[in-house]
Amino acid sequence: MRRQFRQSLSMCVLALVACGGAESDSGGEAEAPFRAALLTAGPVSDAGWYAGAYEGLMLLRDSLGAEVSRQQTRTPAEFDEAFLSYGSSGYDLIFAHGFEYQDAAIRAGERFPATTIVVSGGGRFAANVVPLIFELEEASYLAGMLAAGMSESGTIGMVGGVEIPPVEGTFRAFEAGARAVDPDVDILESFTGTWDDVAAAKEAAGAQLARGADVIIHNVDAASFGVFQAVREAVATGRTAWALGMNRDQNDVAPDVILGSAVIRIPEAFLETALAWQAGELGGRPIYAGASEGVIDFVLNPALASRVPAELVAAIDTARGRIRAGELTVPRVEFVEPEVR
Amino acid sequence: MSEADLVLFLEASVRLGVPLALAAMGEAITERSGVINIGLEGSLIAGALGGALAALAFGSAEAGVLGGAAAGVLAALVFAAFAVGLGTDQIITGTAVTLGGLGFTGAVYQARFGATGTALTLPTLAPLPIPGLADIPWLGSALFAQAPTAYLAYLLAPALWYFLFRTEWGLELRAVGENPDAAQAAGVRVRRVRVLATLFGGALAGIAGAHLALAHAGTFAENMSAGRGFIAIAVVALGRWNPPLVLLAALLFGAASALQFLLQAVGVDLPYQLFLAFPYLLTLAALAGWLGRTRAPAALALPWPRRG
Repeated sequence: MRRQFRQSLSMCVLALVACGGAESDSGGEAEAPFRAALLTAGPVSDAGWYAGAYEGLMLLRDSLGAEVSRQQTRTPAEFDEAFLSYGSSGYDLIFAHGFEYQDAAIRAGERFPATTIVVSGGGRFAANVVPLIFELEEASYLAGMLAAGMSESGTIGMVGGVEIPPVEGTFRAFEAGARAVDPDVDILESFTGTWDDVAAAKEAAGAQLARGADVIIHNVDAASFGVFQAVREAVATGRTAWALGMNRDQNDVAPDVILGSAVIRIPEAFLETALAWQAGELGGRPIYAGASEGVIDFVLNPALASRVPAELVAAIDTARGRIRAGELTVPRVEFVEPEVR
Repeated sequence: MSEADLVLFLEASVRLGVPLALAAMGEAITERSGVINIGLEGSLIAGALGGALAALAFGSAEAGVLGGAAAGVLAALVFAAFAVGLGTDQIITGTAVTLGGLGFTGAVYQARFGATGTALTLPTLAPLPIPGLADIPWLGSALFAQAPTAYLAYLLAPALWYFLFRTEWGLELRAVGENPDAAQAAGVRVRRVRVLATLFGGALAGIAGAHLALAHAGTFAENMSAGRGFIAIAVVALGRWNPPLVLLAALLFGAASALQFLLQAVGVDLPYQLFLAFPYLLTLAALAGWLGRTRAPAALALPWPRRG
């Protein structure tokens, strides 16, 4: 008995260190107008996809006075637990930032009808479960144009984490953009199977560089640091090679090698979504956020812009205008399923 | 596939195998004493962060390796205090140390470098080609143009074998792992041996983590250990708790990982998960006894002294 007690006590201490519970933070007012939570399946310190969501949550706190909280969940079992904890404590809006949350979100939506759940890149929806679909294909297409235009070897590469539809979508659009500039360009594609493994992402990029790729785009969240490092080391051996950023403006993450970034302005998209919710306009259908809403863009790295030929910049600008005007349709991977219920 | 491809593949295999080898050889010593440290992943990630912070603070990658070892020992100390000192369940304690290590390092990293993260510019542990040996065709650059931590792994394999099987301390350590009661009766201080073996494993896992940050990635990222602590435990079983075999098993796991990147870059259209599954299938075969007789230390994972 005594031993059991001691053991469970020590486990409690360790568990406290392990999870630390959810972080909560209110805007400062006595009575917050609403409560918003963020779930991420990876660390917000990825300087990319999750970092943007964290900034979005902070924007809701600072500009709308929301009381905010966030949790990092690692496994699908924790997805349900996280929804349960926020749903049962009466959170109004839950941003579940990733495709992987879609099924747990549907289950939670049925259980907590008063809570609205926004699933970034989700593919299923219900009355109170709303996929927020970033049309990142539009920027990926422009990134592909830049990659093919800048490649001296005629070979470019893509390094992805897990092969999920939102990643598929960006890679297919990247290919289309590259082929629009150079129909004969060789495009390599590798997946590491994880979002965390920096060393694996570096090896994947290194293998592509060794096959002659000289511009590499990624969609591997925090592991992207490994892609940038691989390109850096190739440059250190005297080669010309570039990387491209994804999901967030990553130009300052590795300003010496990142030519430009396919950007989702996630904070602005979260703010627009929260405003739509406040106006009672959210629910029952997906939200599409693309270039014409100003959420998606491709941003050249100012520090390296002088290395990009003016004609290529002009061609990219023209394509950007045509995408916004709806004249140029970028390939998409459609994955939104019919409404549940 | 050309010869150049093969050389690149071998180089990548060793690069990816070295952190596994370091962590697994340390864990082999720990397990030989009857302790299975599932918290190895916690030591690895602590080593990666400790290595990055020490390298930044002292401006040297070598200091980073020492910092990584120290951080790995700290994480292992938490495990040893509970699992050996208090006799708590080793599996549960190890899981808690792993989760605690991942959470704690993330919190420290975010507090130090900002919540949204950034790629650090660390002093890197550059490859150090060994004159003469590095020029051997095929294997030379793969084995002998690596970071100094790789050479540490090569030296440790025979040294640890000698320690385990040819010294009195090695005999005591194995006795503790096989039959702690008999070892105690023979005058061996069982708990002290287990704590030291666990801390040694933590130090090597910490160096493995520092290798990931300083020799491989050039930065720290949360969760960058990416499960290598658990893979290392499989490597120990495949290497039959014998350091030189553990080193070979680690290189095999590294090769499987390298192969998937090579084949994907070449454009072979096979599911990339297949190659990653291969070494685990081999480990299962080894555990099932299909690759010859294998037996874990008899007292592995059993708290000591037994309480009624």
